[in-house]
Amino acid sequence: MTTALAIVCRLALCLLLAPLLPGIINKVKAWVAGRRGPPVLQLYFDLARLWKKGVVISELASPAFLAAPAVAWVAIVVASLLLPLGPAGASLSFKGDFIVLIYCLALARFCTVWAAMETGSAFEGMGSAREVSYAVLSEAAIITAMLALSVQTRSLSLAVMLAPATGAGALLLAGGLFTVLLAENCRVPFDDPNTHLELTMVHEVMILDHSGPPLAVILHGASLKLLLFALLLTQAVLPTGHLPHLWATFGVVAGVLIVTVGVGLVESLLARFAFRRVPLLLTTAFLLCLFALLVAWKGGAA
Amino acid sequence: MNETLNFLVGIAMGLNLLALGSSRLPSLIRTVAAQGITLGVMPLLIEHRLEWPVVLVACATVVGKGWVIPSLLRRAMRTANIDREIEPFLGFVPSLLLGAGGTIAAVALSRALPLLPEHVGSMLVPGALASVLTGFVLLIGRTKAISQVCGYLILENGIYLFGLLLIRATPMLVDAGILLDVTVGIFVIGIIVDRIQRAFDSLDTRKLTVLRE
Amino acid sequence: MSTGILLGAAGCAAFAALLLGRWLPRLWLACVSVAGAAAFAASARVLSGSGEWQWRSVWTLGGQPVHLRFDALSALFLALVSVVGVAGAVYSRSYWSDEHAPDSAPRGRVAWIATLICMTLVLTASNGLHFLIAWELFAISAYFLLVLDGDNDEARSAGRLYLVASHAGTLCLFAFFSLLAYRTGSWDLGPMQGQAGVAPLFWLALLGFGVKAGLFPLHIWLPSAHANAPSHVSALMSGVAIKMGIYGILRFSGWLPAPAPAGWVLVGVGAISALYGIVFAFAQSDLKRLLAYCSVENIGIILMGIGGALIAARDGAPTWGVLLAAGALLHVWNHGSFKSLLFLGSGSIMHATGTRELSRLGGLWKRMPWTTALFALGAVAVSGLPPLNGFVSEWLVALGLFGAAASRSSVVWIAAPAAIALAAAGALALASFAKAASVACLGAPRSDAAASAHESPGLMRGPMVALGAVCATLALLPSVLWPALARAAAAWDPAYTSFAMPAPLAFLGGLQAAIAAAAVAAVLVLTTRAGRAGLRRALTWDCGYATPAPRIQYTAASFSGIAEGWFGWLLRPDRHAVPPRGILPGEAARTQRVPETVLEKVVGPIGGGVLWVSALARRLQHGRLQAYLLYILIGLIVLGTAVFLGALL
Repeated sequence: MTTALAIVCRLALCLLLAPLLPGIINKVKAWVAGRRGPPVLQLYFDLARLWKKGVVISELASPAFLAAPAVAWVAIVVASLLLPLGPAGASLSFKGDFIVLIYCLALARFCTVWAAMETGSAFEGMGSAREVSYAVLSEAAIITAMLALSVQTRSLSLAVMLAPATGAGALLLAGGLFTVLLAENCRVPFDDPNTHLELTMVHEVMILDHSGPPLAVILHGASLKLLLFALLLTQAVLPTGHLPHLWATFGVVAGVLIVTVGVGLVESLLARFAFRRVPLLLTTAFLLCLFALLVAWKGGAA
Repeated sequence: MNETLNFLVGIAMGLNLLALGSSRLPSLIRTVAAQGITLGVMPLLIEHRLEWPVVLVACATVVGKGWVIPSLLRRAMRTANIDREIEPFLGFVPSLLLGAGGTIAAVALSRALPLLPEHVGSMLVPGALASVLTGFVLLIGRTKAISQVCGYLILENGIYLFGLLLIRATPMLVDAGILLDVTVGIFVIGIIVDRIQRAFDSLDTRKLTVLRE
Repeated sequence: MSTGILLGAAGCAAFAALLLGRWLPRLWLACVSVAGAAAFAASARVLSGSGEWQWRSVWTLGGQPVHLRFDALSALFLALVSVVGVAGAVYSRSYWSDEHAPDSAPRGRVAWIATLICMTLVLTASNGLHFLIAWELFAISAYFLLVLDGDNDEARSAGRLYLVASHAGTLCLFAFFSLLAYRTGSWDLGPMQGQAGVAPLFWLALLGFGVKAGLFPLHIWLPSAHANAPSHVSALMSGVAIKMGIYGILRFSGWLPAPAPAGWVLVGVGAISALYGIVFAFAQSDLKRLLAYCSVENIGIILMGIGGALIAARDGAPTWGVLLAAGALLHVWNHGSFKSLLFLGSGSIMHATGTRELSRLGGLWKRMPWTTALFALGAVAVSGLPPLNGFVSEWLVALGLFGAAASRSSVVWIAAPAAIALAAAGALALASFAKAASVACLGAPRSDAAASAHESPGLMRGPMVALGAVCATLALLPSVLWPALARAAAAWDPAYTSFAMPAPLAFLGGLQAAIAAAAVAAVLVLTTRAGRAGLRRALTWDCGYATPAPRIQYTAASFSGIAEGWFGWLLRPDRHAVPPRGILPGEAARTQRVPETVLEKVVGPIGGGVLWVSALARRLQHGRLQAYLLYILIGLIVLGTAVFLGALL
């Protein structure tokens, strides 16, 4: 009973805090640009407003158009259940949970692409094509990062894999995972969440035809995914398992904040890359993770 | 001491990959300069006692590789009015993957090599191999003379790293060799770039094929 | 009932179908179903632990007594044969009916059951000679199935290619079995771990069976054969027939003492097949070719599992080895079920629209809701996504590879690249099937044929629903299936005897069910909420463009354009463009085709070279007697000189 309660508490924490991150990013961007910017809680207001609104859907769309965002959201929630929350541990932990996590995110991607293709729009087809193609490289990178953690700790479960820092490899891993975070969450320099030109979008263009509650679900899922990646990055770098609980908690919270502010700063200081440069950057992320793997393996053998 | 040295060699290896992945010439030159400075600091870490020849070599390397050559290259770039590698023979992603594969192979190979016991844990040998390989990839895969000069510099950095292995056995010889190397490098590059520039109004080495009989 | 009686009943029913199928289609279907049910029951008995069944005849066939052996490994494959065999038979009653094809349908029925019988014989034969006979009969009966549509030139040339490739493989198997018989002194097959001398023969077996399995680069026959055959035949070929190659590799890597690098080679070939197959699949615009190339990928995944398990068995079978073995075996079932489902689905689409070109399809969901839903189910399964069955086996294989990497022995050098290749192949599979399913079924119809499509009849929907149910069962009950997989793994390699179920597997089944339930609940909540909030239909957002047309939708080729650019060095697409010229351009066109690179750019030129040499040699053969006598004289002089010189030296 207590475990069930603990799971619900962890889940509620994630679900409630997730929409904070985009708010922080926007605040940072506004601060760098010298504007006041929207309130940090803006996404909460947006979600509440969208949930009450009516839905307009394309004439071509099948019932699955409404179902896909729901399935994608469930997939991201399951993925977040598998991720340990610092000293609080994961809700579900077993050997091979990280593979389930990665594949759940892939399921969410499949659903988003499916819903985008429902509308028969050329823009949304373009966004889908970009999304699935970039995912090939980012998935290779993230699996390599997991290999590095797994070789480092000789373990196959996230709770143990994320406990110690990976020493010199941690820096490489941080670089690689941060780039993957930017790509997977469609932030600058891969995608510009604020752009208004359909031709240059990736994620935003895939959800052009969504409105009302389904759009709210999609936006919430996206913020949850951002939180998930920030947590993964923080715990892969910080030695949370070796710190006292209070410090570990503080470290994870601070880490997530730093990552979020970092995303905001990157977004303020960098422009979106030309699309042909994207593979180069993602390959770099993959190589960073690959060298982290090499360091982990060499470190273990010596 | 050894840890710091390995860390520096690691950085140099990372800079190799950065050089392979950068399409803009200024950033390529900056990368090579950074690698030169990283390498220049290394003799100070290897020698236990700081003697004046070692310090001199280190200073000369840092100044030469980190400042003189890059500024020469920058000048050549400005006068030739090019700032990016547009159509390389070998794409950036493939050359990056090639470089990464080479680096991993170098690390694996250096375990199999019969090294002196004091060099076994050191990253110097894999670093040197990886740099030589990176230099070759740049020399083969790029079309602009400046990128090729950068490739030559990285190749030369690899040889320098090999030289560092011997620094304890024959310190002065190595120091002198390195110093000579640096001087010659600067002269040769300065002259070559200037000549190519004057003769062809361009730094595209593909145009050199008109020189064949 | 004992296993033997069940198999005997299956054999009797199958022979009845073989004899009467030509004239009595309903009786044929009944007999096939009975035979399939009996064979499935026999497999279930052996897989649930009733021990292996053996039978030796007193009489001889070709000088050898017939020896049949039916153990858990054979049973695993026979279960798949029976399920897909019956599903395809039911499907063909409507898809390739007597009204539709009066000449070829009766032939198809006979060839179908003949292929099933031959596959069963391959699975049970335990004598090298009889194995070869069964293998050859299987190859030929499958050929007759492939060229069922005799009017179609493409199908005929695909059939010829299949026959040639298949016989090249059989040639290796001839060498393999005769050398094996020569070295061991008997044609009888069975475990021969003690005889180290036969280990190198494994490479011959790998080559011979690899052609049938469609390993890269031996897959040249596979895409065109699977794409041009009737869809129920493609389902059988892709779902089951190529698994016979896997069966052969498994069987003889278990029975022979496998050479030391065998595991490494298998993992490497598997990783290359997986990546190569799926890159080509993604680049296809032909629905069935896409499915066919995806089979190469899945065979690669199975091989990675087998190879890894072999490495583990040499190292004393650590726990990660059993994960790989179980993953590979489960993937045999999984791929058989979802690939058959997808091929039957593509058959329904072709039946309704008459085309398998993705750029002519679109918007089918409105008229073909069943096919769309089932095709989507298959697409999620083949992409290896939770909560369906493809994920369970990919999870096992990936976990095994990670376990190998985490063991920090030298296996890392192959396990880590294989794991990365598996991840990239998974992402590309998602891309391929998101493309195939969504371009075919979603959006607006791109042609009149697609706009006037119709749902397929019940006899075609039924087998698809059944296969979809098989996928769901395999997905939700991995812990129930574990004992069967463990027995098959033990029958394959004695190193894997008595392995308990890895703890997370039971958990995974529960998690899959929970994901499915949560997804259903979330969908219900969201659709109710949307319904309450008010649902309105409008035009798709078109940026204010005045005359949107179905043709401006993203096509299959444009969907894969980005990745095609990355892999251009491998795919080598043929591009032809007539760019628009002038102020008011008239005609403009752009066509792009991804060729069968290995066939057209490697095998083709080599074959051309051989033909050229042969043509030169043919000039010697012109029919003039005098010249032949001259050849003899020249031959004599040359021989005489050689002898003379030899004596001199």
